Amino acid sequence: MIKDALVYIIVTLVIWGIMVIISPAKGLIVGEIALDTWIKSIKIIIGVLLIVGWIQVWVGPQTMSRFLGKRAGWKGLALASTVPIFMGGSLFIIFPLLKTLRDKGASIACIMAFITAWGGKAPLLPLEIEFLGWKFAVLRLFLVFPFAAGMGLLSQFILDKWPERKPS
Amino acid sequence: MNIDAGTIYLAIAFILFLVSAVKDIKKTRQALIAFGKILLTVLPVLFLVFILMGVVSAFVSKETIGSWLGLSSGVFGILIGEIVGSFALISPVAVFPFAGVLRDRGADYGALLGFIMTAILIGVSTLPVEVKLFGRNFTVVRNVLTFTLVFLMGVIFMLIM
Repeated sequence: MIKDALVYIIVTLVIWGIMVIISPAKGLIVGEIALDTWIKSIKIIIGVLLIVGWIQVWVGPQTMSRFLGKRAGWKGLALASTVPIFMGGSLFIIFPLLKTLRDKGASIACIMAFITAWGGKAPLLPLEIEFLGWKFAVLRLFLVFPFAAGMGLLSQFILDKWPERKPS
Repeated sequence: MNIDAGTIYLAIAFILFLVSAVKDIKKTRQALIAFGKILLTVLPVLFLVFILMGVVSAFVSKETIGSWLGLSSGVFGILIGEIVGSFALISPVAVFPFAGVLRDRGADYGALLGFIMTAILIGVSTLPVEVKLFGRNFTVVRNVLTFTLVFLMGVIFMLIM
């Protein structure tokens, strides 16, 4: 784990170092954007990862597979294709959360549907209506549900035939 | 509107840990250790991800995106919208106002839908996290399928809007 961490940090510093050598001005901008992203997202990172830690201890694999596992069948898929639409955050925030759900026994179909449904972004609906009109917003919202369920079913089908070689 | 998503998640975490501490202090300590371990796994990857975000943003400005998307239309427009959205690093909150600007510059609804959905769901810079947490095949399948299904959604938008 520590070795992994070091590799990522070194790769990052090398990429940034190359940027700075090529163009110090751009290197500075890159650093500023990265720092800004850290400041903006540190609260949500800590919050979500605390919840992830809590789930790891308090939610048993049986509970998880009953709601989001293969055993949950179409109900699990329906749950994963709808509820996440109300969640906030960015992609890199929900990945660790879903990793925990996956390790606890959630099916690939549910994980895929979950990510896609989360892209529905219902909390931002007022913004969407204001800038793109209610017709656009409503159509997008309604298409996200079948999109999420389709993502779940198709990717489960493909990944059953093309499993990961080494467990990640 | 001072309550951001971060505050909400922190509040939920706080309540969960409060309940946890009341019920079982040993399990609460385990949960905190689990949190520390995940933090140690995720933070270094985010270190890389955020620098990659910086690199992309430094080279692809909003003006550049606007000039690519402003005039795109039809089926080809959807594809351009999707490709730009996959590379663009715009936070979900900013994506709708920005899409509004693009529409005023002449981008049609299919292209806008492609841009919005891929901007939210596909991120070139988040690929390292996805591969690390879920594996290579998962990442390939998710991104390729998302791109394909968003294209179909774009076609529907083109026909209906």
